[in-house]
Amino acid sequence: MRVVVNPSVEPKILNVEQMRRIFSMRQTTWSNGQAITVYVLSSQHLTHQAFSKKVLGMFPYQLDRIWNKLVYSGLGEEPIKVQSEQEMLDRISQKPGAIGYVMQQINDNNVNFINVLEE
Amino acid sequence: MKLATRLTLLGLGLIFQTYCLDAKSLKINGFVAQGVVHAKDSNFVTDDGDVSFKLTEVGVNSAYRINPSFRVAGQAVYLEGGNRYPDGFRIDYLFLEWQLLNNPHWHIKAQIGRNKNYHWLYSSTRDVPHTRPSIVLPQSLYFDVFRDVAIGVDGLALIAQTHNKLGEWDFNLSYGNSRISQDQKQNLLGPNASGKLKHNTDKQVSLYWRPKLTDFQFGVSLLDAEFSYQRGENDTLFSGDESSQRIMFNLLYQGQSWEIASEIMRERVIAENVLFPGFYTDTTAEGGYLQARCFLSNQLTMLVRLDIYDRDRQDRAGRNIETLSQGLVPGYFGLMDQATAGITWKFAENIQIQAEYHKVKGTGRLAPIFTPNTVLNDNKYWDVWAVQLMYWF
Repeated sequence: MRVVVNPSVEPKILNVEQMRRIFSMRQTTWSNGQAITVYVLSSQHLTHQAFSKKVLGMFPYQLDRIWNKLVYSGLGEEPIKVQSEQEMLDRISQKPGAIGYVMQQINDNNVNFINVLEE
Repeated sequence: MKLATRLTLLGLGLIFQTYCLDAKSLKINGFVAQGVVHAKDSNFVTDDGDVSFKLTEVGVNSAYRINPSFRVAGQAVYLEGGNRYPDGFRIDYLFLEWQLLNNPHWHIKAQIGRNKNYHWLYSSTRDVPHTRPSIVLPQSLYFDVFRDVAIGVDGLALIAQTHNKLGEWDFNLSYGNSRISQDQKQNLLGPNASGKLKHNTDKQVSLYWRPKLTDFQFGVSLLDAEFSYQRGENDTLFSGDESSQRIMFNLLYQGQSWEIASEIMRERVIAENVLFPGFYTDTTAEGGYLQARCFLSNQLTMLVRLDIYDRDRQDRAGRNIETLSQGLVPGYFGLMDQATAGITWKFAENIQIQAEYHKVKGTGRLAPIFTPNTVLNDNKYWDVWAVQLMYWF
């Protein structure tokens, strides 16, 4: 599992809590003020399930609950859903401030990786 | 403002945004749900207690970010719920959001307009079928008769989020009131109430804490609401006032295979006149539920819940109601306890079906709340089953 970001993103290391805040949409800007655009796969996708549990330490239904509350009560926006890991990489490489995750091998110089510090 | 006018303004506003500004900043989501429900031996859904298709919920919402500081968001819904709440269109929320502070540690914003109730566990999306644990929510706290009033208010909301060594914190504050329609008034006061019911003020505050390294969430909320009634022509009721002050605690535990949720409340209700000049009542209600959901698989979830409500904690059997009404109103109008079993099957990414059964004792949360219908609700024990198919986008 690799956490991938657009090359414009400054941090190279994030801790688990920061990752949770980003994917829960509680943190919406990087430290330099740049907007964070979050990409995710569908809740049923095995990569998403592995990412939620192993990287974030959260269950997919917890994320769904948070995102549903944002979308359907007007409080905020949910992450952008992509259909495949390749689409994930393509979109992250083009969008400044973007973050996502993939399990496949990456030979793409247009994205950077983030190391996630475990608790 | 008339509903049609509001909807038109919302529609025009969305169209304006789409054409004049960057369309990528416009988000549109929604849902469609239809079900079948049967509440025999009570007027919970229909007066005749027959199987009913009055379980229609359609909604569309949109949000548009104007710039990093300002955003607008709105949702319109169409509902058919029989006696549970008035049929028809309504605007659930429509507000301008002003981001006061946004950095990696603090998020603070103000919302002006019609705001959802963000204070309870399920209040902010009680009208969105696929976000609910069950079709019918625990009636102790989420009683349907009061849905349109409890779902949100017109006014100001302040929302703050932060985190520290102890965990994550959410703070919500809201102030405003809501317009009570004719149908809503009659749901609360009965068909012979010809006057005007006003929701004068609604003040709520809530605090949520998610401790670090746990799967728990704890919350507390306070509510202070005031209503007034102005007598109408040939009215059976009289001008008067009502106030409610409520304290609620809630807990949420989210595990891999289990989720436990619970909310408990104590509410002091004071009503003056209304029933007759000189009428005065000061009672403290208590209620709450304990709910467990079991995730059998990624698609299948089971639910069990026990919900309890007593209109007067000093008189849980409702004996005062019988005495004051000289036996006309049975004591079971002073309580409503509900045992629920349900199942949710999410068989596609955006489609699921829910089915459930409720066994109920008491009629304390049925319409009309203030002037009980003893003819239609003449059973202390009654039940409800419901099935609903829902799609969202």
